[in-house]
Amino acid sequence: MPTPRELVVRGTAVHLHVEGSGPPLLYLHGAGAGGRWLTFQEQLARHFTVYAPSHPGHGGSPAAEWIEHISDLAFHYLDLLDELGLERAHLVGASLGGWIAAEIATMASPRLRSLVLIDPVGIKVEGWIYPFLFSMELPELVPMIFQKPDAALALAPKDDSIDTLAELFRQNAALARVGWNPYLYNPLLARRLPRIAAPTLLCWGEHDRLVPLQCAEAWAKSIPGAQLVTFPESGHVPHLEEAEAVAAAVVDFCRRQDGTR
Amino acid sequence: MKFYYFHLMPYVMDHDEPSSWVTLSNRHYDPEIGHGLYHQYLDQLEYAEKLGWDGICVNEHHQNCYGTMPSPNVMAAMLVRRTSRAKIAILGNGLPLRENPLRIAEEIAMLDVVSRGRVISGFVRGIGAEYYSLGVNPTHSRERFYEAAELILRAWTETGPFPFDGKYYRYPFVNPWPRPLQKPHPPVWCPSQGSTETVEWAAKRRFPYLMVFTPVKRIAQIYGEYREACERHGYTASPYQLTVNLPIVVAENDAKAYAIARDNVLWVYNIGLRMKTPFYMPPGYLTEPSLRRVLANRPKPPTELTFEDLEEGGYIIVGSPATVRDKLRVFADELKAGIVCSGMNGGSHEKTLEMMELFAREVLPHFREDAHIDETAGVGR
Repeated sequence: MPTPRELVVRGTAVHLHVEGSGPPLLYLHGAGAGGRWLTFQEQLARHFTVYAPSHPGHGGSPAAEWIEHISDLAFHYLDLLDELGLERAHLVGASLGGWIAAEIATMASPRLRSLVLIDPVGIKVEGWIYPFLFSMELPELVPMIFQKPDAALALAPKDDSIDTLAELFRQNAALARVGWNPYLYNPLLARRLPRIAAPTLLCWGEHDRLVPLQCAEAWAKSIPGAQLVTFPESGHVPHLEEAEAVAAAVVDFCRRQDGTR
Repeated sequence: MKFYYFHLMPYVMDHDEPSSWVTLSNRHYDPEIGHGLYHQYLDQLEYAEKLGWDGICVNEHHQNCYGTMPSPNVMAAMLVRRTSRAKIAILGNGLPLRENPLRIAEEIAMLDVVSRGRVISGFVRGIGAEYYSLGVNPTHSRERFYEAAELILRAWTETGPFPFDGKYYRYPFVNPWPRPLQKPHPPVWCPSQGSTETVEWAAKRRFPYLMVFTPVKRIAQIYGEYREACERHGYTASPYQLTVNLPIVVAENDAKAYAIARDNVLWVYNIGLRMKTPFYMPPGYLTEPSLRRVLANRPKPPTELTFEDLEEGGYIIVGSPATVRDKLRVFADELKAGIVCSGMNGGSHEKTLEMMELFAREVLPHFREDAHIDETAGVGR
């Protein structure tokens, strides 16, 4: 695991892992995965310089009171790209991170070499209401998110100390600030998706129970030219459940856009 | 000491579901039974005035069997015209839960005018579960509470119209008709469970602090913090700023009282307050220092409390009239609480009325030294 770096972006402290070499790739994690360096990132780092920040209030990044809307997070990461001096980068986001990535893409596609969304939340899909994770305890949460329960171990809290519980509470609060109501979507995002001009890959777990495949179709229809790849043994987090396969698909897609494949 | 009769208006039932709040299906609610219960409960509140209680209390909770009063102002409205002397304490309106809290300023002012100034207006955030039931973002709870309180207090005290431009609530014209009858406004109480921030906020404004269903040790601690905060703000707290809400069970002897309490009071804690952990503590509902304080000395969850815990911990007062008097003396003399709010449950409507009569006959008269004092004078505003 690379040594985490700390930097300050427009007054907001960011905790960030940087690893690998090659074209820059910004990876935005999902809720509960902040501060983790997992096989998926490891694989990407073989081909790209991976920048993996923790969202404010998640992982090692302190909470930021000014973040009240998902677009605040999108602007925060555009500021981070500036701070890092990255004119253009690949952008990969999972779940909550996918939502933020999609928001960024509607604002600033020219900054993106490519866009990869892994089971993103963020839009309202006709006929589907996201199950309310905030009311779930672990025995409900794990089968909701994971097709392979073993994969959940990668995100298990390290102990049940007050510090760890406070950190979980802080992460949930950071998510609730942007996603309690409307729950996990921005009503304005869906109609802005056609503005995305970056080459886009959608990765989806076929057994996702939080954001099922029917949602993938809505995303694929709205983003011009988007390609969809599904993963047969995964739930909501294929990059944890079939890490190697998802990483291979992402690497392949991004390298094509760079013309290095 | 002043006595207020408090009602939760529960829908008492047994069930195997994991939570009595938010998700307990309302298919369990039978409106025919509910009709009977509402009338019994309102009768009890009205009877409390007749028997000499100083005030009667209603409160707000949503989507549960613990308390079926989603709108306390509706209940207060029913009581206002059926009573003539008792204070009517609304404990309280969940300010952040309202999308339009100017409605609270209006409704309380209506009740205050109709009752000729008998209304006490509790301001609460609502417990965690309400944020699930009403979809309000719990991370906004504290800010919305403060902002709605400011709006309501200004709406009651400033000559309208004036604009209000808050972060959550915005109005081009704040100008409610009617204005409240009590001056400068109806007393405001803060029912709470002891968060540092609320203690400070209430003490600063001389708003009475009400501890609800809390063990007596913790009441003593929070009262101490509240008194200290009052001193810091340059005044000494009146006893009528220190209020407690706990169930009382009185019977002709201790053994009978204990038996009644086991049968009827335990339900409130073991079933009425059964809920999933997330409902207790929605994300962002507590500040991180308050959260750490809670985690550092985690009390037993209500569902695990035994009758002995309740009795020994001082969550409830149970006994013969003499025992109940002695236990109330602890609140009066040691904790120096000025007002006790309590509900009673004898097991049936008739037995509850009998218990109220016994209390009014054998307990109340022993605490009437301050009968001539208006507990709301100079307090709560």
